[in-house]
Amino acid sequence: MLQLNVNLFFTIINLVVLYLLLKKFLIKPVTNIMEERERQIADGLNQASNAREEAEVLKNEYEAALTGAREESMKIVEKAQVQAKAEYERIVKDAGEKADDMLDSAKANIEMEREQTMKELQSEIAGLAITAAAKIVSNKAENQGNQDIYNQFLGEVGDAHDDTDDR
Amino acid sequence: MKRKGGSDTESLTEKLLEELNCDTVFTIPVFGGIGVAESVVVTWIIMAVLVGLSIIFVRNLKVENPGKKQLVLESTIGWAKDFFEGIIGKENKRYIPYLITIILYLGVSNIISLFGFKPPTKDLNVTAALAIMSMFLIEYSGIHKNGVKHWVKHFAEPVPVVAPIMVLEIVIRPLSLCMRLFGNVLGAFVIMELLKAIIPVLVPIPFSFYFDIFDGLLQAYVFVFLTALFMNEEQE
Repeated sequence: MLQLNVNLFFTIINLVVLYLLLKKFLIKPVTNIMEERERQIADGLNQASNAREEAEVLKNEYEAALTGAREESMKIVEKAQVQAKAEYERIVKDAGEKADDMLDSAKANIEMEREQTMKELQSEIAGLAITAAAKIVSNKAENQGNQDIYNQFLGEVGDAHDDTDDR
Repeated sequence: MKRKGGSDTESLTEKLLEELNCDTVFTIPVFGGIGVAESVVVTWIIMAVLVGLSIIFVRNLKVENPGKKQLVLESTIGWAKDFFEGIIGKENKRYIPYLITIILYLGVSNIISLFGFKPPTKDLNVTAALAIMSMFLIEYSGIHKNGVKHWVKHFAEPVPVVAPIMVLEIVIRPLSLCMRLFGNVLGAFVIMELLKAIIPVLVPIPFSFYFDIFDGLLQAYVFVFLTALFMNEEQE
């Protein structure tokens, strides 16, 4: 019972062998698996945080882009409004000018026509006066005196002349 | 068994001595015969069982979706790793497999009497072997960490007067480990044998729980705990 002998060395050899065997078959594989899992979890967490950071950056970019786009669109609308107003004014002005021109030309036309008509009338009146004069002269030359002819002529011509003056 | 007079006591003593005796199982016929003790043979059996179970349980380990068996295995090994890392620190990871081996071996050998074997730790050769290995491990870890010079010097600290005691400590530490384990297992074994000899029915059950299971596991725990503690101390 209380004796040390060669079995001590046997036991030491046994323990060393057991240590090597257990290390190879039990502790190493289990430790490897646990470390592998820890590594995977750490990787997963890293990836997740990376993805979140990326998403944050993208979100900021999109927000900036959106704000830019909104400003841009507002600018465009303002510009368009200004342009539309300018165009509107231009069109109105053009229309006014055109209308004025047309009115002017119409007035000119009317004037011209009136003058032409006047001329035509005058010449007609002159013709009529000549005709009347010829008629009177031919009809009353024998019956009436020169004074009458003269008066009649003056009367006819004067009427025509009065007519134009009245207008 | 007779239960009368002096011859009863004598026969009980004989029976006890017979139980306590470490038989030589067989003799290797070289150098005039080397006796292989029972404890060594039981150790072989324990080794076979431990390695066999390891191979069976470690097969098909998965990183994802581990099974129940794997979870138990992992939490056990993980607990042991955390426990030893807590004592000797992360930088001494390489000693942990040895300590795990020893706690497994001691745990199994201390409760193997439940299966009808004589616990190998009842043999002084086994506990002495364990203690000698612990001694080398303790001193080696100190030398490895701080170098031979520091190791030699540390005997004279804090004052050179204590040097003889410090040198003695090299032997005392493993001796105390060896004797504590041996004494506990032997004592538990003797008490259980006595109880079984006197009252073989029912009464031994609660005592068996304490002496065979609790005390055995406790001693295994204490042995590796102290070894780790001494290693840590030696590295300072």
